[in-house]
Amino acid sequence: MKRNLLMNRLEHLPTLRIQPRQTLTIRYNGKNLRGYAGDTVASLLYGCGERIFSRSLKYRRPRGLYSLDGECSNAMMSVDGWPNTNAETTPARHGMVVTPQNVVGSLEWDPMGWMDHLAFVMPAGFYYKLFHKPARLWPLAIKGIRQAAGLGKLQPEATFDCRCDAIYPNTDVCVVGGGPAGMSAALAAAENGLRVVLLEARPHLGGFCDYRVRAEKGGMPLYQWVGALADEVRATENIRVLTHAPVVGVYPDQRITAFQRGSAADVFDLRYIEIAATSVVVATGCIERPLLFASNDRPGIMQIGCAHRLLHTYGIRPAANAVFSVAHDLGLEAAIDMHDQGVTVHCVADAREDGQDPQMLSALAQRGIPHWRGWVAQVAHGRRQLRGVTLSNLTGTFKKRIGCELLVASAGLTPLTGLVTLAGGALAFDHHTGFFLPQRLPPAVQVCGRIRGLHDPSSLSADGTLAGLRAAADCGLNLNREIARAEAAGAAAPGAVRGSKLAMAPGKGGKAFLCFDEDGTVKHVQQAMAQGFDVPELIKRFTSIGTGPGQGGMPGHNLPLVVAHSQASPDSDPQPTTIRPPLVATPIAAYAGGKHDMAKRTPMHAEQLTAGGRMERVGEWYRARRFGADPGAQDEIIGVRTNVGLLDASTLGKFRIFGPDAVKALQRVYVGDMTRTVPFRTKYAAMCNEDGCVIDDGVVIQTGENDYYITTSTGRAGQTVEWFRYHTRYDSWDYHMVNLTDAFGVINIAGPNARQVLAAVTDADISNEAFAFSTCRDLLLRGDVPVRAMRLGFVGELSYELHVPASYMAAVWQMVETAGQSLGIVHFGLEAQSTLRMEKGHVILGSESEQRTTLHDIGLGFLWCRTKPEAKTVGGAALRHTADQPGRLKLVGFKMEDPRSRAPRDGSPIVDARIRGYVCTARFSHALQEPVGMALVDDDLVRPNTRLGIYEDGCNGTLRHAMVVPMPFYDPKGLRMRM
Amino acid sequence: MLNQRKRLWDAPPLKSHYDAVIIGGGLHGLATAYFLATRHDIRDIAVIEKRYIGYGGAGRNTAIVRANQRTQENVPLYKEALDLWPVLTRELDFNLMFYNCGNLNLAHSEAALKAMRLQTATAQFHGVDSQLVTPAECKALIPALDISDRPSYPILGGMFHPPGGIVRHDAVVWGLAKGASRKGVRIHQGVEVTGIGVQKGKVDSVETTLGRISTPRVLNAAGAYSAALANRLMGICLPISVLTIQAMVTQPLKPLLDHVISSGGYHIYANQTLKGEIATGAHMDRWPNYTTQTSAHYIKHQAEALTDLLPCMRGVKFMRTWAGLADMTPDMAPIMTGNDPVEGYYQDCGWGYFGFKSCTVAGKYMAQYMATGSCPDILLPFDQKRFEAHRLMGETAALVSYSADN
Repeated sequence: MKRNLLMNRLEHLPTLRIQPRQTLTIRYNGKNLRGYAGDTVASLLYGCGERIFSRSLKYRRPRGLYSLDGECSNAMMSVDGWPNTNAETTPARHGMVVTPQNVVGSLEWDPMGWMDHLAFVMPAGFYYKLFHKPARLWPLAIKGIRQAAGLGKLQPEATFDCRCDAIYPNTDVCVVGGGPAGMSAALAAAENGLRVVLLEARPHLGGFCDYRVRAEKGGMPLYQWVGALADEVRATENIRVLTHAPVVGVYPDQRITAFQRGSAADVFDLRYIEIAATSVVVATGCIERPLLFASNDRPGIMQIGCAHRLLHTYGIRPAANAVFSVAHDLGLEAAIDMHDQGVTVHCVADAREDGQDPQMLSALAQRGIPHWRGWVAQVAHGRRQLRGVTLSNLTGTFKKRIGCELLVASAGLTPLTGLVTLAGGALAFDHHTGFFLPQRLPPAVQVCGRIRGLHDPSSLSADGTLAGLRAAADCGLNLNREIARAEAAGAAAPGAVRGSKLAMAPGKGGKAFLCFDEDGTVKHVQQAMAQGFDVPELIKRFTSIGTGPGQGGMPGHNLPLVVAHSQASPDSDPQPTTIRPPLVATPIAAYAGGKHDMAKRTPMHAEQLTAGGRMERVGEWYRARRFGADPGAQDEIIGVRTNVGLLDASTLGKFRIFGPDAVKALQRVYVGDMTRTVPFRTKYAAMCNEDGCVIDDGVVIQTGENDYYITTSTGRAGQTVEWFRYHTRYDSWDYHMVNLTDAFGVINIAGPNARQVLAAVTDADISNEAFAFSTCRDLLLRGDVPVRAMRLGFVGELSYELHVPASYMAAVWQMVETAGQSLGIVHFGLEAQSTLRMEKGHVILGSESEQRTTLHDIGLGFLWCRTKPEAKTVGGAALRHTADQPGRLKLVGFKMEDPRSRAPRDGSPIVDARIRGYVCTARFSHALQEPVGMALVDDDLVRPNTRLGIYEDGCNGTLRHAMVVPMPFYDPKGLRMRM
Repeated sequence: MLNQRKRLWDAPPLKSHYDAVIIGGGLHGLATAYFLATRHDIRDIAVIEKRYIGYGGAGRNTAIVRANQRTQENVPLYKEALDLWPVLTRELDFNLMFYNCGNLNLAHSEAALKAMRLQTATAQFHGVDSQLVTPAECKALIPALDISDRPSYPILGGMFHPPGGIVRHDAVVWGLAKGASRKGVRIHQGVEVTGIGVQKGKVDSVETTLGRISTPRVLNAAGAYSAALANRLMGICLPISVLTIQAMVTQPLKPLLDHVISSGGYHIYANQTLKGEIATGAHMDRWPNYTTQTSAHYIKHQAEALTDLLPCMRGVKFMRTWAGLADMTPDMAPIMTGNDPVEGYYQDCGWGYFGFKSCTVAGKYMAQYMATGSCPDILLPFDQKRFEAHRLMGETAALVSYSADN
């Protein structure tokens, strides 16, 4: 059957979208195939004589080219390694490698083809009733099912490097659909000075008129008319045209998402588009509704538009001879064109009894093409390739078999209403058009064109103009007069066309496919209904119809029709199934775009890397966990305990809160009494939530009258302002907050030699008397760098925390490093800090606390002021309730029974007959020369010397034992930080 | 075997009396009805469903099942739930397609590793198979994973839980409906409950859009709508926030992921269904609402996160996205109560996004609760009173907040 059709393209048609002078070659199944610039992969393959494009999912039936807009999986192939690529919508490029999918053997001879004969054991929902008996069979069945299911193959190591782009245009009007109605709408809105974005799924404008030469508008053949419209659109400066850009989502407030495929000339291969529009015009037109008859899926059967566009857009004669079974004038027009280009058209079966365009009828008669009213295809013959068709009248009483290579089959049109439903519009079945028509539109959404059942070019143009004007009115223009005029023009033009409501061809038996993707037939629908599934949505789920790669595109209209037809009460209207985004299957790469890591780096990131810092993501930040390879960071710990260390603590939350009511706000969110702050003394304070669970700790410093500087933990910095605002929202207090987290960096100098280091960079008196523990001072370093210095004791040594304007951070860091050089100052990271503070019994929230841990549970009850004058402290009531509540987990310190054993792993449960708590943090303490740790345990285990059984993962029941000991482990009197 | 003509469940008319009325034809409601009928010989039951069975969370979840929860109150419950899938498949004679492929959870930080140690050891302590794995072992389980330093959050380790997997969620709805219906349970679709009648501190009736039903017990199992219903019909205030949670599937592929994978750091899970689609989703929208609207941001975020971990997924296409509702309690553990505040009123809700994996066991014990009137020991910790006492259960370690300050 393979003929070399390469040289056989019709080169001189005025509607061609290929460049007959520019050839290209693709690699298909080991062969080199030639086509032309402008070809899609599908048109190229068809032009080269390929007829079987794939094997179906379940029955492995051969499938051919059926539509050209990617509505089903028939033409899905692997293209340059991208699986499930629809050949119909993929432009052919020179050197492309294309291979068929889901095939064992070849497309022509697939040894799995016998699956088709097993259809009788695969009724609707068969998988729910098979394979589970006996139970031991099921794991084997799973293997078989997984291998058989799925289409494309993806190599786990595959990378898909493509040029990605993303744009987020703002526009007044977004028009979806570049056919005559959409273009008219865009022009109407643009003429009124509005910005318009026009989106078209195909690579070119023109819609269903682009390839039509017979019908006319204003004396021009339609292709010329839409060509002129397209030229006008492109010449209009305030219309931005995005072609090959199918819309995939519609979200509240007229937010439209789409993706665009770039051509070789573009700077991208895939582009994500998110449009914020004031008004949306939906002019998406129609697709064809598949005709349901036995074996309606054979290669050689295709829709009207597919055959017509193969001929006129790509210059390919689809076959030498053809039979038509249609229900729309577009079918008659295609038959005439086909005949005129040398295809023998045996006959045109027309499911309509009347209503045809008389001009078309006479054109058919002139050419001697028989036109049979009230006839329809009933059975297709042939297996790998169509050999003929049996036609019958609508009651099935008369039949006639005709041999043919091509059957153009279509039950009519169905509007693409997905956008309308996603936007929140409602559809209702319309008996005149046989369409689900938009019945209620959401605000600022207009629909126009074929989606409303219109067909005549003048109607489409008038309707588009009207929609464009209404959209302009949505944007606030007063266009009442223009709209009234456009309405009158629309009313004068021909109205909606009566549509075919034919659900199924007469006759029983055979497989009439509603859904090619899932091999779902009319019989499956009937089986589902017999089992009690009465809602189309449930039938869809039970039969899988419309859940395949093409989603509801093809079966979306036929399924409700078949259901309504089969239902006992025939007068109930068909109910549409749910449409879900994306409206067109969208490559994940288009959504993901290029990788852009949105992490925050402190001002000292580079310096720490140079110093050997091992950086780690901590929430949104990168922080140094340790410097060097030792996971325990021993040298850093010893350095801080015996000498001096340097830590970048810039990620701490930092805020200024000021104003006459600032103290009230502090009183509300902190559990302590904030009226008792002393200027420039650090006050350790905590916040709780309404359950009394501690959510944040930090210091509060009064820096002036009604002026405070506060710090929060790194993790809470982002939520702090909102937390204050939310909890004071009814109070109309006069206070302000400034988030200084990124404006200031923090350097912590800690260790017995810390004072020596700081003294080397400042002239200020920083003696213990002049700058005591728990105080804060604003200092100048080297005479002119302003820093806020605090003496805090988190790691338990003499320690200064310098809050430095971010722009000075690098300079100060270097100053401190240089000053400490002769002492052998060390960098330390999170790991060392965590061990050091743990030895002091200091908690890190989230490490020693969890969601349900209250202030009292971790021994911070002393921070709560029970007698605060303002009673409405957040969490105050819960703290009162839970302060002495029995049965809570409490924080304790522990040492191992065997001091020579290693520290237990963080997170290990503490058990006896049941789980009694868990290890929060445990490390080897260099100061004590044995492991120590903190754990949250049931409150009957808190007494010193209580034995704890630790159940580590993988211990197989062998417990390790520890004893509860008092905390802190190191320097219990706290002398070292007060040095 | 393949009977194509027999209805899976009957559609009889509504009666005026039932021994039990269950509000909600979702998984929890149907499972409770099934266990009441099969284990407690209470068969005169009405399941009242406002739309159609499986409309809500039952048909919108991504069907992952597992038993590696965090606390000892929850682990045994979910373990039993897992054990019930093969039992129900056999009993219902309906293939629920339990695909026991195991779950791999990834850690990207020291804190996550610590949380996994707690979870793994807790599972092992309760006899649930779960183990910690290295990045290389993660890669061996899922060859498509990127275990290099390239991802924003490199993989530091993982937790592999072999007994978990996925179940076909729709099959569970239909299987339970079939099993319950065969025992005499009546499923009424398209009927709404509008009131609960109480006499002398006891439930005596249920008002519906089709009229009044007298009954001594009623179960509120209306999923995400149950808290609002409890408030409207009973005046009960539950600490539940309802949030939208979205999910999506790719076009079908030949086998790529042999296990369910999830990552708290990236807020994603992904699993390949038996049909070959890769289902993925994870975190909830950030504010409470009752819509099932999807959002432009979410699918984009999901694509970014997924491809950072599984770079080959760039070449696949999303074909469908949808949203469901999660009824979140402050501690991410459910509320199961009975006879409170009136005798005969039972409540099973607050499951958040754990409602699917728990439906079998919740149905089993709620049925026992309703049949005997006394709370089974295993359900005792799930009393709503824990919130009044500020005793959260600890099912989640991290702070959660669903209110407007979030």
